Amino acid sequence: MTAAKQWSGEAIEAVLAAQGIRLAPGRAEKIANALNAATVSAPLSLEFESDPTGYALALERCKAK
Amino acid sequence: MSDPAALSLAAAVQALRARHVRSRELVDACLARIARWQPRINAFISLEQQPADQGVPLAHKDMFYRKGRVSNCGSKIRRGWIAQETSTALSRLDAAGMPQIGTLNMAEFAYGPTGHNEHWGDCRNPWNPDYIAGGSSSGSGAAVAARLVFGALGSDTGGSVRIPAAACGVTGLKTTWGRVSRHGAMPLSHSLDSIGPLARSAQDCALILAAIAGFDSQDPLSSREPAGDYVLAKRKFRVALSSDWIERHAEPEVAAVVLAAARDLDATLIEVEPPQFDTLSAHCITVMQAEASAQHARWMRERPGDYSSAVRSRLESGFAVPAAAYLEALRLRAAWLERFCSTTLANADLYLLPAMNVRVPTLEQTGPRGGAGMPALLAEVTRLTRWVNYLGVPALVVPCGFDSLGLPIGLQLVGRPFAEAELLAAGHAFQCETDWHCRAPAERWI
Repeated sequence: MTAAKQWSGEAIEAVLAAQGIRLAPGRAEKIANALNAATVSAPLSLEFESDPTGYALALERCKAK
Repeated sequence: MSDPAALSLAAAVQALRARHVRSRELVDACLARIARWQPRINAFISLEQQPADQGVPLAHKDMFYRKGRVSNCGSKIRRGWIAQETSTALSRLDAAGMPQIGTLNMAEFAYGPTGHNEHWGDCRNPWNPDYIAGGSSSGSGAAVAARLVFGALGSDTGGSVRIPAAACGVTGLKTTWGRVSRHGAMPLSHSLDSIGPLARSAQDCALILAAIAGFDSQDPLSSREPAGDYVLAKRKFRVALSSDWIERHAEPEVAAVVLAAARDLDATLIEVEPPQFDTLSAHCITVMQAEASAQHARWMRERPGDYSSAVRSRLESGFAVPAAAYLEALRLRAAWLERFCSTTLANADLYLLPAMNVRVPTLEQTGPRGGAGMPALLAEVTRLTRWVNYLGVPALVVPCGFDSLGLPIGLQLVGRPFAEAELLAAGHAFQCETDWHCRAPAERWI
């Protein structure tokens, strides 16, 4: 996955402020910690050409025959 | 007839057709039970002043819109909001002779797995009101379990049909993404939201699904896959499971009950490696948080104080999800779905696992006073449901036993896309051999 970078409370506060979201004191650090902990590695590799719309076709392909 | 409310939906339909009971008697029986149970479990938000007396009465999560009626969506923000249109699912149930007699409690904006609700009061588990009913379709699970209605609609974005079904000991079906129209239903996360029934049996769920499934031009994500009539054809299924994983990761009582139930299925059991639940759940959370926060952006800017602190915290987190992470989770979705179907289900029709990894927790353990262990406990409650929403496949939860404290335990079956008929048939076959679904919480406290 993305996000090898570690988030800081200050960065979270800035990102949310830019979207008009105000945070209570201490919340930014909690969100940063959760975001850092949630980073997952993806064992699946993707073709460069893949995009989210491929999912609809996959639903069709994966139906029981 | 002693108590018509004790009938299953299928039996009530049959009794009506045979004129052994009148619709008015069914409605009155439900209303009498609601009057007794409501103070204890807080499952209902509203009752119709003049309930229709043609058909078998249902009630639904308070997020399915009906023109001219209030849909509060479990929130303060939408308290008293009057819908301008009727949801496709409700219209289809009306037409099928399953009228609505009320609206049911739910987690605020369907964004919570326990049934806590600080605006409308917590919904409580009818087996023991100190315990969670599960969420977000908390009232749907509790009302069906207490035999207050014959069935209910819920929505499932990360487990919101299956968790209350498991916690309350009823049958719940999470449908394939796109199988049931979401037109006129409150959105949470458009890539994950699905609508499904909670009822007393797989047979009852099949009746409700047959009424609501199928293409709807008013839902742009509605599937054109033909809907079946969900006849519960008997056949021997091949069921995959990961016994070692269940024994190592589920609470011992949950593992023992679910694995014993697996042996009661008339199925060929096949041991397989488990799907990567935690990775798939993480993708689900990324998608859900980003989409839910986008959905709520205006209110989060203008009225953040009108959300409960728990829901506001979840929504705040979504504004920090990087766009690239959100899109990567969506790009990976097709590949993960194909992997699940080509490996986990390579030699099987269905995959079996617990609905919840843990026994039903208390309201206190999972609420604002839950303490340091609360986040980890909530993660266990949803650990085995979210991955299914990420893949978009259907799943059925059936009651399969009780823990040592008398709270229900649910078994979950997961299928390929649009395999609702297979899931319901397997659930029905299990319920023909067992009576867990027939057990109802006692009224000895009255």
